[in-house]
Amino acid sequence: MSLRQVRAQKLKSFFSLLGIAIGITFLIAVITLVEGMNRYVREDFAGSFFGVNTFSVIQRRQVNTGEVDREQRARERRNPRLRMDDVEVVRAAVPNALYFGYSAATSGEVRRDQYSRRGVRILGGSPQYEAIHGWDVEFGRGLTSVDDRQALPVAVIGSQIAERLFPSTSPLGRQVRAAGHRFTVVGVYEAQGGLTGSLRDAAMLIPFETFQRTVATRRQEVDEILIKVNRVDEMAPSMAAVEQALRVDRRLRPSEPNDFWVQTSSDLLDAWETINNVLLVALPGLVGISLVVGGIVIMNIMLLSVTDRTREIGLRKALGAKRKDIMFQFLTEASTLSVLGAVFGIFAGIGMAAIVESATPLPAAVSPVALAVAICLGLGVGIASGIYPAGRAARLDPIEALRFE
Amino acid sequence: MTAQPGEPIIRTRELRKEYVMGAEVVYALNGVDVDIWRNDYVAIMGPSGSGKSTFMNMVGCLDTPTAGEYALNGQEVQLMNDDELAKIRNREIGFVFQTFNLLARATSLHNVELPLVYSGIPARERRQRAVEALETVQLADRMMHKPSELSGGQRQRVAIARALVNDPSILLADEPTGNLDSTTSLEIMDVFDKLHDRGQTIIMVTHEYDIAARAGRVITLVDGKVELKVDSPAFQAQAGVAAAGVGVLGSPGNVLGQTGAL
Repeated sequence: MSLRQVRAQKLKSFFSLLGIAIGITFLIAVITLVEGMNRYVREDFAGSFFGVNTFSVIQRRQVNTGEVDREQRARERRNPRLRMDDVEVVRAAVPNALYFGYSAATSGEVRRDQYSRRGVRILGGSPQYEAIHGWDVEFGRGLTSVDDRQALPVAVIGSQIAERLFPSTSPLGRQVRAAGHRFTVVGVYEAQGGLTGSLRDAAMLIPFETFQRTVATRRQEVDEILIKVNRVDEMAPSMAAVEQALRVDRRLRPSEPNDFWVQTSSDLLDAWETINNVLLVALPGLVGISLVVGGIVIMNIMLLSVTDRTREIGLRKALGAKRKDIMFQFLTEASTLSVLGAVFGIFAGIGMAAIVESATPLPAAVSPVALAVAICLGLGVGIASGIYPAGRAARLDPIEALRFE
Repeated sequence: MTAQPGEPIIRTRELRKEYVMGAEVVYALNGVDVDIWRNDYVAIMGPSGSGKSTFMNMVGCLDTPTAGEYALNGQEVQLMNDDELAKIRNREIGFVFQTFNLLARATSLHNVELPLVYSGIPARERRQRAVEALETVQLADRMMHKPSELSGGQRQRVAIARALVNDPSILLADEPTGNLDSTTSLEIMDVFDKLHDRGQTIIMVTHEYDIAARAGRVITLVDGKVELKVDSPAFQAQAGVAAAGVGVLGSPGNVLGQTGAL
């Protein structure tokens, strides 16, 4: 009955649906993307970029949590770059580390005959670099300490590079060129896919020593030092030991701040948390506004509909409809409208999230909770905005209503 | 037509309805005493402003009196609240309106089912009873048609089926032929006659003497009071010329003043 009513007044219904639909579209799109980012950051990013029980030393903090003032940021930018001396200091500070590694990176074009790929992340990694990140080789082998010690011109390439440069042949044993140097491909990493894929799948790893002698622009410098400890309770003491060792080595006075940054995966998560919270706080406000507007539109449409159908209401009352029957009828109509709006909104929202997902590396994850919230909101808005018009309809005097022209 | 044993279906005593219009008090009904028995066929006549609409609203339980008593099937209507009135309208009264008042977007079947929806009858039984009611008015073949696809006479027959579907104590028709041409009017009046023959109690408001002449009794209201209660043959004699189409029958004698029998 209600659906029939909605269909009968297509244009009016369309406008009342619109407000709700826009609100819900927004809600679903944002929640879907935030959820996607969340899942990615938690399950994928933090894990692969930065395994568990792992911390790193870098020149300055990478993720800005928004609590750092400009002066502090400027000072951090003047921090000295990490060098091989620092690597040895850190190595000595964590003798019990499970893995210890360091790396430097540059980016450039990698070529093989007529095939080439630009913007490849060329990484010089110490022997345990792969182990710390958990990068597994699909074909061939990974890098060994022998490769590093002898600075052999070998490389393990990501799956995207393998596809691009070796569309029809096996890359193993073949040579690629980067920055005028030749490297023999000894392995291909497993494809990772997703957003993280751009980190590993489009990278080429060569031994750190080889990197130093070939593509490095600044010799003896490293971008990060990575330490993986055995158990989580070793994290804090190990980080403290590294911090202390570096401060002593760099002769910092107690009043001076660190001129380096010790980072854990929880730093990244904290930073994400901050962004997340801002989004999730702003969201209800934005959604709320469009739902209120949608609700007001529905209320007006319903009031109009009550006036239009005064005679019908009189008739229904004459035939035995009680107040609550009329009330229920109009509430159902209002709720049908707004839930329909919510359903359109859900599809539009998912569609929007899908568009964003395909156009950017941001992942989307449709959460059932968001869908439930959307439907409940639709229902709630429908009932809230329908209650006044429905009450007016229910209180109509049947005689006057029947006489209404 | 004749005195019947037991309680009347409708019994009003000193029924009053007052409206306050600004400083004035209008007495729409000013002490109406009427008894209507089972299987009566009563026409209500009167000039406009005579209170016949108010009386019909009262009898139809759409409104409650300011003073006086109205018992419908022994139930004291003047004491009821809105929801009780809705319930009694649903169970006891079948309305037929001058303007049909069908839901434009609903099929005949759905229109006829409507009162049953408000009685809480399950869908299957609703449908079955609606079909039976449409068969009674010989519209079983128009069940799935919407009002816009029906002629005026057919629409009014759908409305009659709707009024009958809950098996009401009284059928209350307010100028049921007012919007119909004379041929169709006769067709609709035949439907009412048949229903009356089957035992249906009918109360009908009308302006037209020949329509009123079909009823067993005529009650005329003037200024909120009952002016005249006659049984039909005598009325026909009085109406005389106006009822030419029906034929003037010989008067069976003076029945005026037989108030106790009404």
